[in-house]
Amino acid sequence: MTVAACLSLAACGGGASSDDATREEADGYLAVADDSATGAGDVSIQLDYDSVEAGGLDPQTATTARSWSLMSLTYDTLVEIGPDFEFDPGLATKWETPNPTTYVFTLRDGVKFSNGRPMTADDVVDSLERLISGQGVWAIQLDSVKSVKATGDNEVTVSLKRPQTAFLATLANTPAAILPMKEIKAGSIDPAKEMVGTGPFVVENHRQDVSWSFARNEHYWDADNLKIDSLDVEIVGQESTRLAAIRDGSADFAFFNNVDSLDLLTGTNNARAVNQQNTDFYTLFVNSQQKGSALANPDVRFALNTALDRQELADVALAGHALPTGVSPTTLPDACKVEDLPSETASADDTEKVLEDAGVDDLNLMIYSSEPALGQLAQVIQQQLEAVGVTVTIDKVDDGTYDSRAFAKQPADFDLALYWFAGYGDASMVSKWWNPEVVPAHAGFMGADPKLNSLIEKAGSTAAGKERAATITDLCARVDQNSEIVPLVTRPSVLGYRTDTLSPTLYSNEGYGNVLRNIVDWRVPAGE
Amino acid sequence: MQTTRWLVMRSLNAVLTMLGVSALVFLAVRQMPGSYADIVLGPLSSPAEKAEFASEYGLDSSIIEQYVRWLFEAVQGNLGTSLVSQLPVSEEFGLRLPVTISLAVMALVLTIAIGLPLGVYSATRGGSGGGAVGRLVSGIGISLPEFVLGSLVVFLFSRYSLGLTIGDFTPISDGVGASVRSLILPAGVLAVFCIAATARTTRDAVLGVLVEPHIGAAVARGESKAFILRHHVLRNAAIPVLTLTATITAYLLGGAIVIEAVFDIPGLGSYLVAALDRRDYAVIQAGVLVATVVFVATSLLVDLLSGLIDPRVSATKGGRS
Repeated sequence: MTVAACLSLAACGGGASSDDATREEADGYLAVADDSATGAGDVSIQLDYDSVEAGGLDPQTATTARSWSLMSLTYDTLVEIGPDFEFDPGLATKWETPNPTTYVFTLRDGVKFSNGRPMTADDVVDSLERLISGQGVWAIQLDSVKSVKATGDNEVTVSLKRPQTAFLATLANTPAAILPMKEIKAGSIDPAKEMVGTGPFVVENHRQDVSWSFARNEHYWDADNLKIDSLDVEIVGQESTRLAAIRDGSADFAFFNNVDSLDLLTGTNNARAVNQQNTDFYTLFVNSQQKGSALANPDVRFALNTALDRQELADVALAGHALPTGVSPTTLPDACKVEDLPSETASADDTEKVLEDAGVDDLNLMIYSSEPALGQLAQVIQQQLEAVGVTVTIDKVDDGTYDSRAFAKQPADFDLALYWFAGYGDASMVSKWWNPEVVPAHAGFMGADPKLNSLIEKAGSTAAGKERAATITDLCARVDQNSEIVPLVTRPSVLGYRTDTLSPTLYSNEGYGNVLRNIVDWRVPAGE
Repeated sequence: MQTTRWLVMRSLNAVLTMLGVSALVFLAVRQMPGSYADIVLGPLSSPAEKAEFASEYGLDSSIIEQYVRWLFEAVQGNLGTSLVSQLPVSEEFGLRLPVTISLAVMALVLTIAIGLPLGVYSATRGGSGGGAVGRLVSGIGISLPEFVLGSLVVFLFSRYSLGLTIGDFTPISDGVGASVRSLILPAGVLAVFCIAATARTTRDAVLGVLVEPHIGAAVARGESKAFILRHHVLRNAAIPVLTLTATITAYLLGGAIVIEAVFDIPGLGSYLVAALDRRDYAVIQAGVLVATVVFVATSLLVDLLSGLIDPRVSATKGGRS
């Protein structure tokens, strides 16, 4: 256990930064931009990887948080997500729901695309129809939409086939951005190659995997509020180099994906590192589909799940900066309580016997190399399962090999595998990925469960509140009992910024991994 | 005539080497688990989408068909299109190769400027404290992994920059001084092994020549120490050092992969690593081809230079060929 406790620098007593890292400057905000900062200048940002999507720069097919962050600089959505996952006006100034399956949006006046053409209700209708009929992942989240119609010059009405509680949350992410559909239909703009939106910035230059340069969008509808003149985003793969940039001031803001960076930035003059909670969370895949495997037995999988200690994973592997979670991300409204999960309340006495009777004494645990925390989590899981008599061999592979063995092979080629899911902005959204009919790639390691599928549907269509919370509790229990994709702990983000050159606004909780959210509110101190 | 025949045979060898390497790499990268479609489309896509995607990029035809198509295009100067950026690979290389060349040239300059004198000094002052220091420096340099030294340098200079920058590459077009400042640390780390190897090889070569009878004769003739070193020792000791320089050139290209990743320099090395991760086949294939060309061309050049320095070398090689 001592070894496990020292896997993380922070856990070994390195960090006095925890308080400052999670200190809220206002309710729901880790940082609030100082409105008295009157500087107008350039901001330099460093991110860990670039947007690489099959659909190029088309936001509707974007699948990763980094793409969503970068594309959100040039595109806007109808609604924005607020600090506590409530919804704020975006390109729609207001919306009404005359009944649970109808949404009427009133569009903002005076919105123009960066090419100078005013946005129309037709752009909104055509954007949503293109998204829903397209092949992007986000189309799956909008499968309840029946029709989208322009019901006035500045009004769009969406009809749903069934109530969808997460409908606004789905519209609040970058794939639901409003595109210049008139030009796209005419073929004069290819959104896969050119980013023309209504957002605050326009792309001046992009070198894949190297850098982006953004300039102000002179047609931006909220241009008076935008104080940043230009934005340079460098893609810097090495965590240590990004740390160096914050230390020496060559970057104003940087993203880190290792919680130890919080402590490594402690004591740096004019710099602050914060721990932003995400709805994203780590999961353990338990392969039930291999022929003759003991893991096909749900009791065995549940016994393994029972042997895991989520709190210890959060405390040791992620230095106490993560939170245990069920299938509904802990930080979201209506999320289930982890302490009520069957695996948390089950007696651990029988665990070892179940595993021994099933002959489970040696398992491989596959992780991939681009996510540093997986190695730390894997080592703690290895020790937790060793305690119940299971020897775990950690198998670290590159991302391509992982994708091939986990998602392309039928059955998948692993016993256990660590992964993470984006948790999104509503407690019911991510649970769709627990249905292998929706995600065929998961069929290689999990079976179909009609009861679970009906709970997923019910959680998605029940109005937020007590009844839905109860449904989600049942959903979490079913996922936990099946133990094929076992939710573990949330995946925190570390954000670092120079306090002498930047005053950002940052939410305490983020639903879409958009680390550049609220950039319009960011301020630059005078003289910078 | 003999030299011409030798040159023709060496050139044929070079072409065959490049063909063999390109075929092997073509086969090897396609045997790696996971395809570009798997990686970029992700697990939420359907098998039909992946198949359609593979078809769009011609990845569903046989390996032989793909290789012949690639080779046909490559000999015409078309290295293909990057699956990730959708730009021609030659264009991508054009942006990144100068960065790697700048890094490698600076490391080579440091290697020659420090490694050669250190080796000569170590050999001629063998018994002194200076010689011991030379041996110690070369020993440490050879045994210290680049990523360890690189990470240490990144950490130290990020806290105490001393006017040098980490991870902020400046092209030479933006000013020689700024470019040197941005490259001196990675080039220095990259050069450490090469300096050590050069110093050690130079020392051994010089020591080997110093015990030759003609050196004793030169001493007996009363020639000065500097004259003997310049005219009798260095010329004869140059061949192993020159051969090493060819190896170093190839090493610098390989080492640049690690150094560019550690220091986040947007060169060819870091680009190839990213391409491998994403199975961006055209980029990997072209990168290996470029590396092979550089290695083969350097070897050829060294052989030619060796022949100029010592005519016995080309005569022997010509005879064998």
